[in-house]
Amino acid sequence: MWWIPGALAFFIVFAFFIEWVDRRFVARLQDRYGPIYTGTGGVLQPWADFIKLLSKEDITPAASDKVLFRLAPLVLPIFPIVGLCLTPILGKPIIGFDGDLIVAFFLMSVYTIMIFIAGYGSGNSFGIVGGTRAALQMLGYEVPFALAMIGPAILAGTLSISEIAYSQSNIWYAIPLALGFAVFMVCSLAEVDVVPFDIPHAKQEIVAGWETEYSGRKLALIHLAENLEMVFISALATALFLGGGYGPFSPPIPPAVWFIIKTLIVAIVISNLRAIFARFKIITLVEWSWKYLLPLAIVQLLVLELFFELGVIPWP
Amino acid sequence: MGVLSWARAKSIWVLHFNSGGCNGCDIEAVAAFTPRFDAERFGVLLVPSPRHADALLVTGPVTKQIKDRLIRIYEQMPEPKFVIAFGTCACTGGVFKGSYSTCGGVDKVIPVDLYIPGCPPKPEALLNGIAELMRRVRGG
Ligand code: SF4
Repeated sequence: MWWIPGALAFFIVFAFFIEWVDRRFVARLQDRYGPIYTGTGGVLQPWADFIKLLSKEDITPAASDKVLFRLAPLVLPIFPIVGLCLTPILGKPIIGFDGDLIVAFFLMSVYTIMIFIAGYGSGNSFGIVGGTRAALQMLGYEVPFALAMIGPAILAGTLSISEIAYSQSNIWYAIPLALGFAVFMVCSLAEVDVVPFDIPHAKQEIVAGWETEYSGRKLALIHLAENLEMVFISALATALFLGGGYGPFSPPIPPAVWFIIKTLIVAIVISNLRAIFARFKIITLVEWSWKYLLPLAIVQLLVLELFFELGVIPWP
Repeated sequence: MGVLSWARAKSIWVLHFNSGGCNGCDIEAVAAFTPRFDAERFGVLLVPSPRHADALLVTGPVTKQIKDRLIRIYEQMPEPKFVIAFGTCACTGGVFKGSYSTCGGVDKVIPVDLYIPGCPPKPEALLNGIAELMRRVRGG
């Protein structure tokens, strides 16, 4: 139990580290350098942003719903932190039980609903448009997302994230479930609001979307929540599809190291996709998720069933 | 206050506002964020909302029509805030000086912290100005 505060601190440090990796990586892809002068190689840039935002004036607009406006940024980082506690990112989960996959999915949905509430509570027209877009976007990607996460649960025969991660000692589930993994990655882009699907805070269209009115401390917490959500989604992808803590030389190298390396790689893949795509229209996202992602996710489950029936994969 | 002034100096987020310039300055200002100059190296980001911004980068001579909007945007920014007048127009009114429809410079309307003259200034001048602002914030 003594390591829990350390683990929580680690999540936050890791979230800021991933933001730096993301900014540097995208900048390099765009032939820029990204932040390099703040700390060694710029690692401290997210910290500088965070501290600066914490120290800035905190404006509450007169038109906002005071309770929602104050509450939403405070509550927002809690969901990814609790979600991270469910994943075995440090070798074993802080709170793991059978059925926590459903809790993780619930946390992701509530995160998006909280974004809607944050935009709605700010009382700004751009904020409301951004929040509505977030909710609308969720209608599109949520069902295929859930179906994609069911695949590993069926293969492992359990609904516990850590049990799913432990059961991949022979084969990573990304191999038999390649289709489901692809659907999962596309939906996770929408979940973390990065560029192909950053529709809720489309800079060039609706100022800063649902974040428009947030300043100072609230914005700092929102950025922290976004970074943590990125870590959470990457960690979930690692646990469900990429073999969790297993890797070459696993006995001498602790599983946490492999898990963290894989999480970092997933985050880099996400930021790579962020750099190479342009933004989709909200209608395209919802249409495509129902037209293509959902059927693909269902096909994946059917293929899995076929594997079981033909005996290619033994029943769990 | 060491950490605080360090963080403030290392993370200056800029909101770009054209107050009626000829667009020459805007092209040069935005060029400072392109791969060749890349102001993000110093932690400078272009943000879309005045609520997120630390520095207001104003170009143009402030036309009478846009004056109220400029003041409003300035008031929407959270403290501590800085104003950068970018281009000769923004500093003094430039070629539009004495015109019946302009106020003749940003400092006639809102307090200015940093003047970057030039018609238009080069992106290097903006980077130099930002470095100067960082030094000033750092100094206290
Ligand atoms: S300073 Fe020159 S380039 Fe800039 S807005 Fe004025 S006239 Fe245009």
